[in-house]
Amino acid sequence: MNKVANTHVLLIEDNPGDADLVRLRLVEAHSDVAVSCVTRLSTGLASMIVAPPAMVLLDLNLPDSRGADTYRSVLEQAPGVPIVVLSGQDDEELAASAVHQGVQDYLVKGSFDSRQLARAMRYAIERQALLTSLDISRRQQLQFKNEFLSHVSHELRTPLTCIHQFVSLMLDGLAGKLIPEQREHLETVFRSVNQLRAMITDLLEATRAESGKISIEPHCIVIGDVIRQAVAMLQGSALAKGIGLEAGLDIRIPFIYADPNRVLQVLTNLLDNAIKFTPADGSVMVKACLTEADPDVVQISVADTGRGISPEAKTLIFERLYQDPNAIDDSRKGLGLGLYISKELVRLQGGQMWVESQLSYGSTFIFTLPLFSLAKFLSPIITHRGRLRDALSLITVELTPLLTPFAGNWDDIREYCLQILEPCILGDKDAVLPALGHSGLSESLVIVASTDEHGATVVEKRIREQLERSERLRTNFAFKLSSRGLNLPAAAHQEPVEKLVQQVADSITEITMRTLRRGQPSAN
Amino acid sequence: MEKPKILIVDDDPDLRRGLNLRLRANHFDTAYATDGFSAIAMAQKERPDLIILDIGLPAGDGFIVLDRLQQSAQLASIPVIVLTARDPQYNRERTLKAGACAFLQKPADNNELMDVIRTTLNPVWPGSRVVGPAQPTN
Repeated sequence: MNKVANTHVLLIEDNPGDADLVRLRLVEAHSDVAVSCVTRLSTGLASMIVAPPAMVLLDLNLPDSRGADTYRSVLEQAPGVPIVVLSGQDDEELAASAVHQGVQDYLVKGSFDSRQLARAMRYAIERQALLTSLDISRRQQLQFKNEFLSHVSHELRTPLTCIHQFVSLMLDGLAGKLIPEQREHLETVFRSVNQLRAMITDLLEATRAESGKISIEPHCIVIGDVIRQAVAMLQGSALAKGIGLEAGLDIRIPFIYADPNRVLQVLTNLLDNAIKFTPADGSVMVKACLTEADPDVVQISVADTGRGISPEAKTLIFERLYQDPNAIDDSRKGLGLGLYISKELVRLQGGQMWVESQLSYGSTFIFTLPLFSLAKFLSPIITHRGRLRDALSLITVELTPLLTPFAGNWDDIREYCLQILEPCILGDKDAVLPALGHSGLSESLVIVASTDEHGATVVEKRIREQLERSERLRTNFAFKLSSRGLNLPAAAHQEPVEKLVQQVADSITEITMRTLRRGQPSAN
Repeated sequence: MEKPKILIVDDDPDLRRGLNLRLRANHFDTAYATDGFSAIAMAQKERPDLIILDIGLPAGDGFIVLDRLQQSAQLASIPVIVLTARDPQYNRERTLKAGACAFLQKPADNNELMDVIRTTLNPVWPGSRVVGPAQPTN
């Protein structure tokens, strides 16, 4: 009955005596499991990639890993593979706590017989299978909900579009002159239509946030630009309510790495709330600043002089469907999804959001966003399996308009070039550096490629061919391409890879800055 | 000067009528088609300066229409604005890749629609893409 049939079990145990004992117990249990035994954690993790086992029997104290780190490494590598920890008398407590963190069971060495071992293994496998199937069905449910809402919101939008169009036709006087009372009524309808439209969008966004399907496209951006845009969008409704809306920006803030549309979405939501909950003659202030507490982020705050949030509400306010129970006087309620979505959007971009408030003195919503770090951006490209790549090169593409002054949109051109470049570069090995602003006279694209100088000339040639194939570019721009190998820091022993990545990032920054300065079109 | 002609492709009669009134009020000439098949036929016949295209259509959806337009030597140069109730997250990039020059979700703000139409008809540099600004949630 306690047989564990036809399974491949990985035993990670450095003590040969203990390993033999486990084997013996399995033979006694008449199980036909195939046991492969390794003595080091690293060997075990490597073998799990090649042949995933049905389960792992794990000693916690190994030559290359000790204690909780051992099972955490295995859980991280193969979250779906059940683990039974083999503990000594002295670390039973640790083994017990491991069970709370995803390990299926533990056995104390020397005090289990064949039946207990077989049973522990069988239950571990069954429980894990149950967990996996629960997880799958949870995902399927989310997927269903997602598709359902996507369909519903699409269907709701069609009649809404119709109302929107015909009401706006009437409001614009295209169906005859309106008397003031008619105009007032139609404006009410129009406001409600827009509210409904926002609700439908929120509904879909919240489901996406839940299923992790929100798309974020981070770029190097200037936070001040986004704040100014958000303030301009909401200035009208602030004025209409007699509320002062101002922005205070610290001009020393460097580039941040975030999705400008998503940041705008968060800011307009916070500003909209702030205006909604602030009485006439109050004020709303947006600020962006650097903090000493965390030098890697920018902190953005939206402060209002509204009635504030009670301590109880503060813990609930970011929950889905939360609505202020005291909001009776203000405009109608939304779905209660705005702050939930905003917080998720900030989290997905690597930041945090919280609120500080004192009842009747106003509230301040604060969120952080990461500053752009070239090292962090490049790390997945220029490292492989925890080591710096053997060779790296820089390829520079410079486009100078044939006609000056140039009336086109640089972002547009850059976007177009990126599409052309796409087939020339490898997503996991090469990267185009984000635009860091330019002279306004030419557009430069810098590509970091994981290849040596010779390889870089090949890529450079391919890019040139692609660019020249585009008539739009050929007839509007002169191209200048160049490539060079990068001098990599000598891979000294024990030097942490992060430090090497930082050195490479610094040298790339230096080179590109020099190129940009030298690359003024007049020098061509 | 002759008025620019816009071909409206939408299967919903009310939406077609509404958009038609809006465009005519803004001094555009209009023509319309109700499905994917007649969209191509009308484009051939009318040679519009711009097409406003829905995605969910009978007899060949918007993607098929975009594909046919791209493949036709005479019609490939006509700019297309996609105006659909569908989710931008899954359709914006796809339509732009298929050759549309802008994507707007229904209901679109009228000023925004007019801006996009004007920029599409008078691009600042040849072939420039006009991607409609994001509609933030409030």
